[in-house]
Amino acid sequence: MLLGVYLGRAEFKVEGGKLIKAHVEKDNGRILKVKITGDFFIHPEDFLEELEGALVGRLLNESDLGTFIKSLAEKRGAILLGISPEDLARCIVMAGESSG
Amino acid sequence: MVERWRLLDTGLNNAYYNMALDEAIAIARSRGIVPNTIRFFRWEPSAVSIGYFQSMIEEVDVEACKRLGIDYVRRRTGGGAVYHDRDGELTYSIAVDEDHPLVSKDFQKSYETLCSGIVRGLRILGVPAEFKPINDIVVEGKKISGNAATRSWRVVHQHGTILRRVNPKLMFTVLKVSSEKIRDKIIKSVEERVTSIEAFLGREVSFQELKDALKRGFEEAFKIELILGEVTSFEKELAEKLTVEKYSTTEWNFKR
Repeated sequence: MLLGVYLGRAEFKVEGGKLIKAHVEKDNGRILKVKITGDFFIHPEDFLEELEGALVGRLLNESDLGTFIKSLAEKRGAILLGISPEDLARCIVMAGESSG
Repeated sequence: MVERWRLLDTGLNNAYYNMALDEAIAIARSRGIVPNTIRFFRWEPSAVSIGYFQSMIEEVDVEACKRLGIDYVRRRTGGGAVYHDRDGELTYSIAVDEDHPLVSKDFQKSYETLCSGIVRGLRILGVPAEFKPINDIVVEGKKISGNAATRSWRVVHQHGTILRRVNPKLMFTVLKVSSEKIRDKIIKSVEERVTSIEAFLGREVSFQELKDALKRGFEEAFKIELILGEVTSFEKELAEKLTVEKYSTTEWNFKR
């Protein structure tokens, strides 16, 4: 592990929905790298890769991330099924706060 | 005049070709080369498929698969990991135009509509199946069918499993089950959450009997006539190419 870089992971099961798993590398409260996996649906599928890229550098703040993900999804016309932007944000922040 | 769709029964194939052929059929449909299509297929060897967004390493015990001779493949559709038993499961896929009246802009609604063929087919067999959002079909609350869909090139591609017989022990050997998910299900065992046609009916149901019922189910639910057809040479060649260049590659299968 690089000095100052912190790797965390978390799982979040959406009630009545799907399971999200997030791996987050953070530095100084910001996302260095994030990988999101799970049994949800996103259309088009490649939106998730774009989102993971767009999240780099953002603060690990649940409400900010939720707003950001929601607006990016709307901009791209992406549809989420079984999860919401807020659920994704919550899992990412949980991963950021986990002890690895 | 009733609308005619093509019915394919491609029998047993390996996981990579099975997933490649599904994509090839969707592409062929998008180019107008083939009609709207329903396909029945099985897996040889037995296989595990994972959803597009899942991690192979997190979901699948790859070493156990290798030891048992079980294929493992990433699907082009989202959803969860599935163990496809050679003798326990029938898989179907649908390739239909996105602007077909059966398809809604609402993805959730389209699941329900496209699953109605399976629900009806199971009821023909005497299994009181019901659609359960988001993408399941259940019998008395137990899952009997899981389904997943994607849309590309103006074509909806949905595929799903129908459990004829269930082998939870083998399922657990090859799939890693997340602790969080187990907690959510209040630690119900797989036997309590999953059922099969034979378990419910208490008798043997052959693949042929199942396929006949599903064919009728789709015809009645979709108000179509299914005409048994063949895989075109375009689809076969494209599927072979996609097998080699995509579905059997480490890059694809371990991309997450």
